[in-house]
Amino acid sequence: MQDYVGVQPVFQRNYNRMLLPAVIAVGIFAVLPLAGMVALSLTDFHLINGWDKEFGLKNFIRLWNDRRFMSSLNVMMLLSVFGVIFQVLLGLLIAVGLEKIVPKWRFMRGIFVVPFVVPAVAVALIWLSLFTPTLSPINAFFDLFGITVPAILTTQYGAVAAIVIADTWASYPFVMLLILAALQGISGDLDEAASIDGATKMQIFFRITLPLLKPALLMVALFRFIETLKHFPLIFIMTNGGPGRTTQATNYYAYIQTFQSSNVSYGAAIAVFLFLFAAVISFYVARANMRISDA
Amino acid sequence: MTIHKKLMQLSAASLAVITGFALTPTKAVAEDVEVLLFSMPFTRALAELEADFEAKTGLTAKIDVIGQDVFENRITLSFTGKTGDLDVVHAPVIQLQRWVKAGWLRPITAETAAMATKDDILAGPLDSFVVNGEQWGLPFLAGTGMMAYRTDLLSEAGFDEPPATWEEMLTVAAAVKEKGTPALAMRVAPGQGFNMFVYPQIMRAYGGKFFADYPTDLTPSMNTPEGLQGLEVYSKLMNDYGPEGIGNFNFGEVTAAMQSGQVAMIIDESGLIAQTLDPEKSQFADKISIAAVPSGPAGRSPAIAVHGLGIPADAPNAEASFKFIEWATSEETLTKIAISAGFADFTRASVADNSDVTERFKSIHPDFLSLRVQMLNDAIGHYRPLIPQWPQIGQAVGENINAAVNGIMSNQEALEAADEEIANILAE
Amino acid sequence: MPKARTGPKQIIGVTMMLAFVGFTLLPIIWALILSFRPTTHLFEPIWESPTFLTLDNFNTLARSDFPIALFNSLVTAGSSTVLAMIIGVPAGFALAKGRSHRKFIASWALLLLRMAPPVGFVIPLFLIYLNIGLLDTWAGLIAAYMVLTLPLVVWSSWTSLAQIPDELIEASLLDGATLFQTLIKVVLPAARPGIVATAVLAFLIAWNDFFFALIITRSSTVTAPVSVMNFVSYASVDWGSIALASVVLTLPTVPVIIFANKYIVQSMGGAVKG
Repeated sequence: MQDYVGVQPVFQRNYNRMLLPAVIAVGIFAVLPLAGMVALSLTDFHLINGWDKEFGLKNFIRLWNDRRFMSSLNVMMLLSVFGVIFQVLLGLLIAVGLEKIVPKWRFMRGIFVVPFVVPAVAVALIWLSLFTPTLSPINAFFDLFGITVPAILTTQYGAVAAIVIADTWASYPFVMLLILAALQGISGDLDEAASIDGATKMQIFFRITLPLLKPALLMVALFRFIETLKHFPLIFIMTNGGPGRTTQATNYYAYIQTFQSSNVSYGAAIAVFLFLFAAVISFYVARANMRISDA
Repeated sequence: MTIHKKLMQLSAASLAVITGFALTPTKAVAEDVEVLLFSMPFTRALAELEADFEAKTGLTAKIDVIGQDVFENRITLSFTGKTGDLDVVHAPVIQLQRWVKAGWLRPITAETAAMATKDDILAGPLDSFVVNGEQWGLPFLAGTGMMAYRTDLLSEAGFDEPPATWEEMLTVAAAVKEKGTPALAMRVAPGQGFNMFVYPQIMRAYGGKFFADYPTDLTPSMNTPEGLQGLEVYSKLMNDYGPEGIGNFNFGEVTAAMQSGQVAMIIDESGLIAQTLDPEKSQFADKISIAAVPSGPAGRSPAIAVHGLGIPADAPNAEASFKFIEWATSEETLTKIAISAGFADFTRASVADNSDVTERFKSIHPDFLSLRVQMLNDAIGHYRPLIPQWPQIGQAVGENINAAVNGIMSNQEALEAADEEIANILAE
Repeated sequence: MPKARTGPKQIIGVTMMLAFVGFTLLPIIWALILSFRPTTHLFEPIWESPTFLTLDNFNTLARSDFPIALFNSLVTAGSSTVLAMIIGVPAGFALAKGRSHRKFIASWALLLLRMAPPVGFVIPLFLIYLNIGLLDTWAGLIAAYMVLTLPLVVWSSWTSLAQIPDELIEASLLDGATLFQTLIKVVLPAARPGIVATAVLAFLIAWNDFFFALIITRSSTVTAPVSVMNFVSYASVDWGSIALASVVLTLPTVPVIIFANKYIVQSMGGAVKG
């Protein structure tokens, strides 16, 4: 990789100058609140009982013994892992389908991108209406044949599945776009050479295309994984954390502690935990990304 | 090069917009009284009467009506931050203890005592705003539990009378369901104002309770044989005889199910029951009748919810705030809204005596007003315990009860967990 | 390329693609239907009363605060996108072409900022805004959205500007242009797809926000996603208005994305290919 572009050191100074506003802005807009979050997590701020400014780690010790926190981690992993699997799978299938099965139907790509721009709140409300048996056309349709579609939002895994479905619907286009981009970077020559050698389409896909897509798939999966950790509107609107507490993922639990239980500092401690978790994962994403761009 | 020119133009234009708009104070024209309410038929109707208030008092008001979820966040933060941007707030009695304890409200004891029409306000709702000997708000809404049922579906199943007890309810529900329509819908969604609004009706009917001896002994006591029996009845009614998806139903779904003919009976709040009797909103209004909340071995305990208006502690002009509250809860305003919006939960005796109002409710159902008074009389003030921790306790208990109904925990486990969590919250 | 055949495999493939189209479009069609249904017939299957359609929900929406909220959303999401582009693109350029030993740290930091949980940001932000009077102002919301948009813009312009050949920049510098002039006059026009895609993505991310607006806006600057929740009221969930509001909320972004999706694919290529 080149060091820098430009002939004289003076340009390097100019590069730094271009970087400066962003560094300052990030400092003000992001680092400041983050520092506040850490400070809050180390003190004890309760909406009703007021502020006990004594510093300490007691919120983090409490995390360790909090069963609800532990089960929220479990919910979060369920939502993220299954969410990512389905999004990547669907995004991959559609991207490959667009390129190989119906390459002439260009307009289809536009269709597949649409969910990407539906705001999360709207996604949640639309899917909530589809999962409300008394309202849903799905239930009404199967009723015609005397089939009762079970209510999905009232069972533990059903509610998790509902959120995963809604999230998959809204997020696969992102995966698809990224994979389409990667596919276009893969030369068609390889395919042709392989098909001359007598390989079937399936063989070409699994032996050649898929391995070449691996770095892109990994990137996008990690990207989506971290995004899914931030689930809020889908849970807030579709399940309210229910049934029982089975869809209270960690981010949502932090919200509950902060606003419903008034434990602002404890909520902040949960957020700090999530932040550290995201830091570890984004470290790997950054490294994977560096490898790809260095390659 | 055109793209970069366009980009530059766009940036320049947007910059102008930012500097021109974003930095100008958004509250250029502040009103005298800023009011924050959450959306319900009464508050929406009240917002439309803004001009009335101005005509009466010469003060201007800005009435914001927002969704309940958003309201709770916004109000908590406004109070905590002492933002001073609100003059009057929607104050549900169920939050009152918490708000008073946190010092978020300003007492209006003297102002209330000086009111000429104070005695016209229903005593129960008015007194529910008294905490520590001070008056913290005036009521505009007193809702209670009520049942609505489909006369045609019940008689088809062989019943001419609605069930009077929860035991009978089990029988009637089984028979109605047998005929092919889901029998009963109630709120099941978790929340202190959701399932915890309706569930204690069954719990208390069977002799269950939240605490060993409220208010003197606050030992959590939900896990008793009586409490368990109540929860079993609730779970059975919802699971065996409720509509598909009942485990996630809230008031909206419950009301809609009745209005669209998807269920034979609902038990919910009086104001919402009135909505199911309104032919404009309800397809089967002419086949729907009303009845008392069923009773049980320990009697009848209809739900009660009182909402009113209070003044934030940091409100800049308390005098104007009180003028607004006085106007909004006045006989004239309540009567207007009772007639225009079919608002049934009014809090003044004189409104019930108004002939236009009685006419209006006769057309809805001849017995509506008398049944409402009967239910209000049967209701106990601490139907949901009046303690500062209730909102948090109600949330925690509601989640466990919801888990029990949806089969995630057994009924027994849910009550054990509820007791344990109540104890933890009280110990905090 | 292999010739298109109409074998059973091809049929299965096409069927699969059509199924995906169905999965993608049916919820949207459903939302459209809901938005035209009168309240009294919401709970009836559409095929039982297909002619019961109404424009009432438009009136409800027009009379509510939703139009103002929509405007607030446009202003705040738009402004924060523009600001983030002005600050972020030069930074992306510097990271793509400048010399730095901290590129790894920079990319990690950017990713981390994109991924930090908003619930952690928002309470400190609320307390800060409270003290400096930025609560419930456009400026405050725009600044908060910078948390979302700026890292994205830097990251995304970094990857797309890295694809610009160095020779182009060197030639311009040798002609005597300053680095900034080079960025504006040479690099940006050459990197047009990436820049457009970056702006679109930044706008979407701010437009989508629910959580920040929920906490740091009050009545005057409430945004559309939060305003939609006002139709979920005690007494009834106004599904017709909700569906219509959802559709309206989506509409402004649809043409953008259809027009820009080829740019997005091209610019994402920068992120994934060697």
